[in-house]
Amino acid sequence: MKIAISLDENKGLDSQASNIFGRCNYYLVFNVEDETFTIEENPAKSASGGAGIQAAQWIINQEAEAVVSGNLGPKAYDVLAAGKIAAYRHNGGTAQEIIKAYKEEKLECLLEPNVDAHSGLN
Amino acid sequence: MVITIASGKGGTGKTTVASNLAYVLAQTQKDAETWLIDCDVEAPNAALFLDPVYDSEQKVERLLPVIDQEACTACGVCVEICTYNALAVAGGKTLFFKELCHACGSCARNCPEGAISERPEEIGKLQKGMSGDLHFAHGALTIGFSSPPPVIRDLKKWVLDPSAETTTYFLDASPGTSCPVVETMRGSDFALLVTEPTPFGLHDLKLVAELNEKEFQLPSGIVINKSGRNDAIIESFAAQKGIPILMRIPLSREIAESYSAGKLLVETQPQYTQKFTNVIAQIRSLIQTKGAIQ
Repeated sequence: MKIAISLDENKGLDSQASNIFGRCNYYLVFNVEDETFTIEENPAKSASGGAGIQAAQWIINQEAEAVVSGNLGPKAYDVLAAGKIAAYRHNGGTAQEIIKAYKEEKLECLLEPNVDAHSGLN
Repeated sequence: MVITIASGKGGTGKTTVASNLAYVLAQTQKDAETWLIDCDVEAPNAALFLDPVYDSEQKVERLLPVIDQEACTACGVCVEICTYNALAVAGGKTLFFKELCHACGSCARNCPEGAISERPEEIGKLQKGMSGDLHFAHGALTIGFSSPPPVIRDLKKWVLDPSAETTTYFLDASPGTSCPVVETMRGSDFALLVTEPTPFGLHDLKLVAELNEKEFQLPSGIVINKSGRNDAIIESFAAQKGIPILMRIPLSREIAESYSAGKLLVETQPQYTQKFTNVIAQIRSLIQTKGAIQ
């Protein structure tokens, strides 16, 4: 299975994870079975509106089954929930550290959105 | 004659200037219609100063998509087409986010299964009536909707007759320089820019002057509200751009008090009647000069 992690930068598994979901810079899509991964630019980063929805749709299309981000707003949450994608919260760190925490089941599961809409707009 | 009152920065006195100008003209020129149209449909407040009596109302409706989940195959064509990210496909269903929809109709027209129909939904309400001799109209966006331009468009279509040569329309715009202000200014003959002598006032005056320059090239003039010892920052910009300063309203406690009591400036300080009449005369002459040059 694959998990997606929102990233601030593109430095492989040493990239800092992002607190922002819909408008983060990159996504890491990590395959837990074979440990392969890809990092792609977030297509929703500069959306004029609905970035969270677009990002969630992209993650569904990548066939990821779990998402890890700092914050998750209500619309993105609804899309992920409809796609039966588990959402987890990280407390900072690199992609590598977050993958380790995920495997050890140490990440907090988000049972509802943890920020208001538009929180990732700066 | 259609005059838009804009400012960029909020709180500079657009509504004060617009409502006093309209009131004064309606009082002094009784053989022709004068209108004040409050186009700030997100926060209309001109009615607070004019206490109009309304005689008609109209709904503003948009067609929003309704998805038949039985017929939907979750193919995602509508998601691809929607520029506003108002749709998503997840878990074999199409999700619709009303707040993001601009009612363009593309999803319904392009659904290969014919699973999307459209249903009218109220997104705003318009009212018109009279405040003494002044005709008044405004619109208000329904709570939960965030797209003012269709409401402004319908409001103008409802009451503004561009061919009515003797009628004067004052359009009180929203703050800012985005779509609602563009929609308000479109089709106007003059842009009256209300500002205050602060760095923020100047910054946004520049933006709104630039919007006019790029999009409409309307003849324009400046009103400096809360005028005082810092007027020079506005004066130098006005001189550089060749935009005349038509009026100054001083920063004064009495004016602020009359505003907060919901009174027109000309009611509490009748000497302003002549000042506003002069502004209207200058606007007329600037429109004519521009017409003569073209």
